Amino acid sequence: MKFFENYKKQILTVLAVVLVAASILTAGRTGNANFLESTLGFVITPLQKVTTNVSSFFGDKFSNIKNEKDLEKENEELKAEIERLERENKRLSLMDEENKKLSSLLEISQKYAAYDTTASQIIAKDPGNWYNIFVIDKGTKEGLSANMVLTAEGGLVGKITESGYTYSKGMSILDSRSSVSAMSVRTGDLGIVKGDYTLMNDGLCKMEYIDSDAEIMEGDEIITSHLSDIFPPGISIGTVKEIKTDSNGLTKYAIIEPHVDFKHLDTVLVISESGEMEETAKKASDNEEVSN
Amino acid sequence: MKERVISTALILILNIILQSTLFQAIRIVNIMPNTSIIIIVSYALLRGRTEGAAVGCFSGILTDIFFGTSFGFYAFLGMMTGYICGRSFHNLYRENYILPIMISSAAVFIYENIIYFTGFLFKGNTEYFYFLIHLIIPEMVYTGVFSIIIYRLLFAVNDWLEQREKYRYRLF
Repeated sequence: MKFFENYKKQILTVLAVVLVAASILTAGRTGNANFLESTLGFVITPLQKVTTNVSSFFGDKFSNIKNEKDLEKENEELKAEIERLERENKRLSLMDEENKKLSSLLEISQKYAAYDTTASQIIAKDPGNWYNIFVIDKGTKEGLSANMVLTAEGGLVGKITESGYTYSKGMSILDSRSSVSAMSVRTGDLGIVKGDYTLMNDGLCKMEYIDSDAEIMEGDEIITSHLSDIFPPGISIGTVKEIKTDSNGLTKYAIIEPHVDFKHLDTVLVISESGEMEETAKKASDNEEVSN
Repeated sequence: MKERVISTALILILNIILQSTLFQAIRIVNIMPNTSIIIIVSYALLRGRTEGAAVGCFSGILTDIFFGTSFGFYAFLGMMTGYICGRSFHNLYRENYILPIMISSAAVFIYENIIYFTGFLFKGNTEYFYFLIHLIIPEMVYTGVFSIIIYRLLFAVNDWLEQREKYRYRLF
């Protein structure tokens, strides 16, 4: 303690230099959390989960009182929607079969392969005002790792930037640091969907570097392209809301309205290609069997 | 000493939990008050620059771990905030009601400007006045309003701890 009192200034200076060096060295890293981070996460994430659940419980109660009348109507609409989707699903599964047969005849690999999925709850959101980061309640324990893809309600949400033992940090596509390679379904024009602070608060994002000759139009569906090594192709992102030409006149950019409602997002679906999650689940069940 | 460390750690953990969960509901035009800055400034005013720097560092580390992309950025910012506030304002009456509000707002102004310059301007985003009007000024106002409550709470906690320490160590 005496040592600390005597060398206060030196300690503070060294700490400051170390922190600056660490922040420069670790900038933009993607990977899994270290032991210290995982331990702190192990303590704090359950508390965050409880607080989120309690506050969303009261929030739901409050909005239930308001919306009780609409529920019956909504229920009927949803039933009709389910019927329609079931029909669609049957048709699509037939097409899937056909596709498999035809592609095996042509000897090409499946473009839209099946992925592992697991649902996860958002337990905390970014306390600052600049970015759009959130924490979900599953981590390396469940087989999640950095660069896995997050979706919700059929649209792209973002990706995992870091996984701890019990939690993972996600970055949404609205965050100004995120960029996703994307294409328009109708015309096949490529571009990059980026977050933009001026649009973030309205729940919109931007698709940049579209060729000036591209025939992209308002209302076009935008999906992830085959160019990314993180995002699998064919995940829908949103629809084009507006098209503008850049000041240089060579490229266009589009304002995209994502399918996901980021303001009321509370659960996400984690997608992974590698099958890590299945392996971990298998191991866990094996362990249970052994212990039984 | 032990009580002080434990109570400070609890306050900081409670702060990050509330900020990331419950306080999301009190966002006004998507801006939420920066309660960690208020806590750092309060500690700097009540306990001096060293404790201000320590509290700033730990509060920043928590933010870094859960919401940062690089380790050390928010910790460094928080530490500097605590140190500079403690150093600059060590001889003023801490019972004053107005000064904590002004200092918290000023700290938010500098803190958010640094985040803009490092995180946005260096990436080619030059819309400074958009950020000033839509983010920095509303956050300054909102933080100022919150600092009235939080400073008083921390003032009471500090008073209670000082009373206990006085009897234990037979100070004064």
